[in-house]
Amino acid sequence: MSRASRHRAPPRPSVSPPTAPLAPLALVPPAGVASAARELWAALQLGAGPTAPLEALAEQALSFTPRVSLEPPDALLLEVQGSLKLFGGVEGLRAALQRNFGVAGALALAPTPLAALLLVRGGRHAAVLERARLTGQLASLPLQVLRWPDERLERLKRVGVRTLGALLRLPRGGFAQRFGVAALRELDQVTGRLPTVRHWFQAPLRFRRRRELCCELEDHERLLLALEVPLTELERFLRSRGLGVAQLQCQFLHRQLPPTLCELKLAAPATRAAHLSALLQERLRRVRLPAPVRALELRTSALLRHGPPSASLWQPGEQGGAAVGQETDLIERLRVRLGEDCIHGLRLHDDHRPERAFARTEPPSLTRATPTTRPPPPAARPLWLLPAPQPLALRAGVPQREGPLRLLGTPERIESGWWDGEDVVRDYYTALDVRGARLWVYRERRAPHGWFLQGIFG
Amino acid sequence: MDGDANIARLLEHPAIWRGRSAAPQACWPSGFTALDARLPAGGWPRSGLIEVLARFGSGELTILLPLLAQLTQRASGRWCVWVAPPLLPFAPGLSAQGVRLERIALVSGEQPLWSFEQVLRSGACDAALAWIAHLRPRDTRRLQLAATHGRTLGVLFRARGAAREPSAAQLRLAVSPAALGVRVTILKGRSATGSSLQLTPPLCEGSS
Repeated sequence: MSRASRHRAPPRPSVSPPTAPLAPLALVPPAGVASAARELWAALQLGAGPTAPLEALAEQALSFTPRVSLEPPDALLLEVQGSLKLFGGVEGLRAALQRNFGVAGALALAPTPLAALLLVRGGRHAAVLERARLTGQLASLPLQVLRWPDERLERLKRVGVRTLGALLRLPRGGFAQRFGVAALRELDQVTGRLPTVRHWFQAPLRFRRRRELCCELEDHERLLLALEVPLTELERFLRSRGLGVAQLQCQFLHRQLPPTLCELKLAAPATRAAHLSALLQERLRRVRLPAPVRALELRTSALLRHGPPSASLWQPGEQGGAAVGQETDLIERLRVRLGEDCIHGLRLHDDHRPERAFARTEPPSLTRATPTTRPPPPAARPLWLLPAPQPLALRAGVPQREGPLRLLGTPERIESGWWDGEDVVRDYYTALDVRGARLWVYRERRAPHGWFLQGIFG
Repeated sequence: MDGDANIARLLEHPAIWRGRSAAPQACWPSGFTALDARLPAGGWPRSGLIEVLARFGSGELTILLPLLAQLTQRASGRWCVWVAPPLLPFAPGLSAQGVRLERIALVSGEQPLWSFEQVLRSGACDAALAWIAHLRPRDTRRLQLAATHGRTLGVLFRARGAAREPSAAQLRLAVSPAALGVRVTILKGRSATGSSLQLTPPLCEGSS
């Protein structure tokens, strides 16, 4: 069937020649799109293997041209007409790009971005410099390079269209009617009949300041004073752009030894120099400097959008007065001095086994967890849990802890976890010890039927 | 009897000013009517340091549970932070007593005294509980000032023996287990010092 249609296809006369403009599609190029200017696009396809994220590669590509556009998931488009002279023509540029991105990156050049993209997807590592030669170079490419929906490709296959050349020879009116105006517009953008609007990639903002010291310092207090200047500059930089810093790196450079690194991670984006300075002071206390410092460098690793905080009408703790700012301040102050995991929150975990019925979380204000409601447990639960159940001695059938324990009430049986190999079969009791403390103890239902202390009621 | 009623009526006269009512201290109800009646402010103070002296596990936390439940369920409440707890707080147990875990934060680390002072001073918490073994009287003074500054109720759990040491805490209680619940003795407060009463927290119900 498809073979027959292919045989029949060539003699069919085209109703309207591909150059005839169609009334509903006569688009005026939007202002600001340089369709008249000569453009040369390089499409760079990245290998299937594990590579750096597209944004990171786009940052590298910015050293070749300021006009870089992302084509997710796997390609970059570079407008290189202006860079040709610098790199010594097309061949020089191609060699430089290949050196930078390695053999994994396949490369094609064409006067329109989409054409370059199709060429590189088809494995045609060509350099097409004139628009007149473009259609000829594209003609032999298979239709798959368009990455159109399968259903549309199947329909095209049924009418005998297998290559891009055959597709471009189809009558425009009929094509638009069958496959939609959007598809025709895309083809026009490939051949350059219509301009293509692309979003330019912008490298994320960064702040980096280096300060040479007039004399070598090893005193922490003076270093902090020396840091004031770059910190104030950082504050001005952040404020003027509406940003906050979430991660700050401070490097102390020595004469001979490798630099000492001091990194600050913040719970919430910060802007104020005084706040950063106070945190750095705490952090610096834990840093041992191996040698005097000759220069220091401040750089930001993560900048986030951050507006000025809105002030509350109420004092914190009053009716309606939340304390979000104070909470993040507290988290940072504790973490800077005691380490990352010094503060955490608690949440319930769905499991009947007491040792698995809860989990540690990030501190409350960082998680913004929604309140969870659960049915209360069938019997009283203690307020404290021992890190591991503690075996109890047994004397005359009675468990002991500084004396005999008195068991209260009826036991609660917890039997769970057979599916993960750490199953428990236990009878839990509330017990009173000789001093009147209430304990949560259990007896193993399996041999050797040991008694264990697991919790304290508090 | 008749004289008492006369005196009470006389004291209601607007021209009479009494020192005790000059600055009624804001308080959180403790959840126990008998305790509220004995506490100087009519409940737990909203800011300042209080000390609970007890052997660990003898019911000292149960008398604070109604407070924790009430504070964590408030619409715009702040955190309740636990500094250097001696064991793992058991989340299902707290949750069953009405404590909302989203408002609980735990602080561990090497410097509990410094952490506790930072927590009290920060203003991020409605209440902060701490278990600190060794304290000097001037440490309690610092903590009391920090708690007032941060408008936070600081609760310090100490051993019974600490009753002999002086402390700047505005309220000191001793808690010991009793047949039906716990016995609370007020060691230091603006009034009712030395009296003791017996409470039955919900967690202690059902004992024989």
